[in-house]
Amino acid sequence: MDFSIRAANVEDCKDIARMIRELAEYEKVSDHIKITQRDLEQDGFSKNPFFHGIVAEVSEQHRTKDGHTKIGYALYFFAYSSWTGRAVFMEDLYVMPEFRGNGIGKALMSKVAQLGLAAGCNQLNFTVLDWNKSSVDFYLSQGCFNVTTKMGYHCMRCEGKALEDLAQP
Amino acid sequence: MNFKLRAATKDDCKDISRMITELAVYENMPDQVKISHEELERDGFCQNPFFECLIAEVPEEQKSKEGFTVVGYALYFYTYSTWMGPTVYLEDLYVMPEFRGNGIGKGLLCKVAEVAKKKQCVRLQLSVLNWNTPSRDFYAAKGAKDLTATEGWHFIRFDGQNLDNLVNEAPTN
Repeated sequence: MDFSIRAANVEDCKDIARMIRELAEYEKVSDHIKITQRDLEQDGFSKNPFFHGIVAEVSEQHRTKDGHTKIGYALYFFAYSSWTGRAVFMEDLYVMPEFRGNGIGKALMSKVAQLGLAAGCNQLNFTVLDWNKSSVDFYLSQGCFNVTTKMGYHCMRCEGKALEDLAQP
Repeated sequence: MNFKLRAATKDDCKDISRMITELAVYENMPDQVKISHEELERDGFCQNPFFECLIAEVPEEQKSKEGFTVVGYALYFYTYSTWMGPTVYLEDLYVMPEFRGNGIGKGLLCKVAEVAKKKQCVRLQLSVLNWNTPSRDFYAAKGAKDLTATEGWHFIRFDGQNLDNLVNEAPTN
């Protein structure tokens, strides 16, 4: 199947918002989504964007039942390791189910790696849910390693009231 | 103990680099530190910095045994949750052992949370080693949730040759 990968632009936010919701449904957390298309437009395409995106597109003849040609995306931003320097963090990687098995996910991830390397990064980091076996298998087959199981790092989060309390001067 | 918390400047990078190594020694991974103060100067103080840093400083009369007045730091950067929006990631939080127990670590953490709030971030995230009980207890006491334990999130990484291999397979269109 022919597909192309390109940088996301502000017009893609409607499709990215749609696919974020699809990914959240897959991860069983769709009621957690607070982000809207408008938020993505403001946060990703302003002067100091919080993230960058790439989109996978197919030609019209391969469009979905609902008429979509934008069928995958990856969202990433730059991070920093105090031990090794510049890093890229891939926040989301998603391909619509009917387009899987064509190398699109792999191509998106490789593109993020390439963009990261071009910016001087020497790590590509992301997270995965331990029960998400197909994703874990996919990533391991591509040569990554599991920092949590190998080195013992746990992801921690402060939000809501805990964050409010912490931010009190 | 008197201490002051302030934004780091380029001149602080030598002290930050020193403390990064001290933290790596504490985490039993001293040989993992590959960058020096030069990378910190370049990456933290350019036009689009990769990170921000807060410093904890004590007055001269309270300097450390070796003569340091910069005794703690918090290094963080902005990230994004496609579910919730802007977030802050706290990469490092460290206070030199002889200065612990004076509220400096808490002060640094609260200051980062304050910065997060000003930037309308809805989450503060970090990682901690599973065996590091004092740190886990410290963060848990501040209301942090362990997402690895409760939700099954794992950190995954590509680096070195594996990252190069991935890059070589990127589409050329």
